[in-house]
Amino acid sequence: MKVDGGIDFDLSKAGTQAKELEEMGYSGILTAETSHDPFFPLVVASQHTERVDLMTSIAVAFARSPMTLANIGHDLNAASKGRFILGLGSQIKPHISKRFSMPWSSPAARMREFILAMRAIWANWHSGEPLEFVGKFYTHSLMTPMFTPTNKEFGAPRVFLAAVGPMMTEVAGEVADGVLIHAFTTEKYLRETTLPALERGFAKSGKSRSDFEITYPVFVVTGQTEEQMALSRQLVMKQIAFYGSTPAYKPVLDSVGAGELQGELNTLSKQGRWDDMGTLIDDSLLNKFAVVAEPRALAGQLQARYGDLVDRTSAAYSNIAKEDQMAIVKELTG
Amino acid sequence: MKVDVGLAHHLEQVKDSVVAAEAAGYDGLRVAEMNHDPFMPLLLAAEHSEKIELATSIAVAFARSPMILANLGHDLNAYSKGRFTLGLGSQIKPHVTKRFSMQWGAPAAQMKELVLAMRAIWANWYEGDPLEFVGKYYRHTLMTPAFTPENKSYGAPKVVLAAVGPKMTEVAGEVADGMIIHPFSTLPFINNVTLPAIERGLAASGRSREDFELSYGNFVVTGRTEEEFAASKKATLERIAFYGSTPAYKGVLDSIGVGELQGELNAMSKQGRWKEMGTLITDDILAEFAVVGEPGDIAPEMLKRYGKIIDRTSASFPVSDDDQRASIIAALRAG
Repeated sequence: MKVDGGIDFDLSKAGTQAKELEEMGYSGILTAETSHDPFFPLVVASQHTERVDLMTSIAVAFARSPMTLANIGHDLNAASKGRFILGLGSQIKPHISKRFSMPWSSPAARMREFILAMRAIWANWHSGEPLEFVGKFYTHSLMTPMFTPTNKEFGAPRVFLAAVGPMMTEVAGEVADGVLIHAFTTEKYLRETTLPALERGFAKSGKSRSDFEITYPVFVVTGQTEEQMALSRQLVMKQIAFYGSTPAYKPVLDSVGAGELQGELNTLSKQGRWDDMGTLIDDSLLNKFAVVAEPRALAGQLQARYGDLVDRTSAAYSNIAKEDQMAIVKELTG
Repeated sequence: MKVDVGLAHHLEQVKDSVVAAEAAGYDGLRVAEMNHDPFMPLLLAAEHSEKIELATSIAVAFARSPMILANLGHDLNAYSKGRFTLGLGSQIKPHVTKRFSMQWGAPAAQMKELVLAMRAIWANWYEGDPLEFVGKYYRHTLMTPAFTPENKSYGAPKVVLAAVGPKMTEVAGEVADGMIIHPFSTLPFINNVTLPAIERGLAASGRSREDFELSYGNFVVTGRTEEEFAASKKATLERIAFYGSTPAYKGVLDSIGVGELQGELNAMSKQGRWKEMGTLITDDILAEFAVVGEPGDIAPEMLKRYGKIIDRTSASFPVSDDDQRASIIAALRAG
């Protein structure tokens, strides 16, 4: 199993952070898109690393034109000599329309078209196929030599797609090179909902499971001491409660027979009782969402539960010693 | 005047390109958006420099959401410690709609709104003003702390617009911090069309010319040898003819009384007679668009013609001798 580590947005530290993670044995470097451009830290990281994958997890697809993302993807893949993974997510309607002032409709269908549009652009640039992409949401029918990149050695980046519901998951299986599973998931949901949806997508595009990567940043409760374990447990419970209050994620709670919690958590969130919400997550439910183990046992438990299913994972092991982090990464990647 | 030079597009070449530009004495590096992302080279340029100014010249505005541009502008300005200028241009309708699959409206009005939208976003991030931008083309009404940058020391970048026609030029005067004059311009066009439009825009926003930076890269025909000079002249004639064939630029040819050439050049371009088109540009026409002379004459002539009008130049100097180029740059910067 590959293991990815995140870097933060401080561009003056991105190079050193990425290099350190590479030296620690991590497989990839991740950035998210919140208050900063998600590609810049990876541009810096590409110049300070040799081996690790560089991945957005995620960049907001619908905030951009497929053409500008095709260009960014091409450039970052060339600069990193083929190590870039363009991880995309849809975000939600209010953010696309009211924050980014961009169009939103039928997200799964739109995302499918978005990725196919980028692939059509790359096929034009890298293989000289005519650019005649006319879809329901995007039109790309003009390209001239002046706007065509000439450094074609590393071609298109891999494209991963974040998905929770079965429709978006099926789109990932059909048109992406990998899926980014939401941390708020359970083994049961993964095996009974996610995997069948991916398989339907693979069937549509004649792809096999081995052509595809499943990425899942599993919640982890761990620590060097009893106190650290307790703190870690409390933080993860709060995160689970936070996501559990979201109506769209109710099916995940349903997968472990706890669907009724969603309404309760939602009510508490509206009263601002964030601390109380965590107490609704009992140990049995926690274990469905998280791997709970002391550092030395962590990798073994992750492998036992997800080794047959997940190709890459990431987690914040930052509350444990660097040597233990490295041992976990080594055991998982080995 | 300040002197700018182009930066390498391929990211692995950026470091050497920056070091060379700083050593040659340039004030600024600029990146045009052609077949690569225009922002990433400037990010690496910022990593490898301390003083040189960094600008897109230009990035295609309508290919992006104002929010994305606001974010890119913020990050580049913060990382370069205030050295970034966001240079924007509209491109033309087919490229925006058919290449980028984005909306195209009335370009001057849309550009004005795009710049004001970015300014509203920045005012929200830096001053805490509510984000309630509702325009005809863009709406930005949602912002939360999680999406607000925390590193605010350098604030917003300067925003400059590329413009040719009087409407876009007036918008630049009204909402931008500067303007990039198209290389295909003449002194009469600049004096009679560009500057009055800028003044109207500045007046509309209650600002004066000192608040505004004007950039122009006139054509330069020169060379150390007869051969270099001839090659430089031929290339410039062809570029003038190429731009002259564009219907939107007829006003520039009109400014020197040769508007009828536009139709002729356009017809030839449709027949693919690109090389021949240059022969229609006489020496008199060339002299209106280009500073022509020995290497030593270039800086004095540029200063004489444009010194009182423009603040920075992006002209390129086709001489094969680095020292000679350095002396042109030094003379312009001193002038």
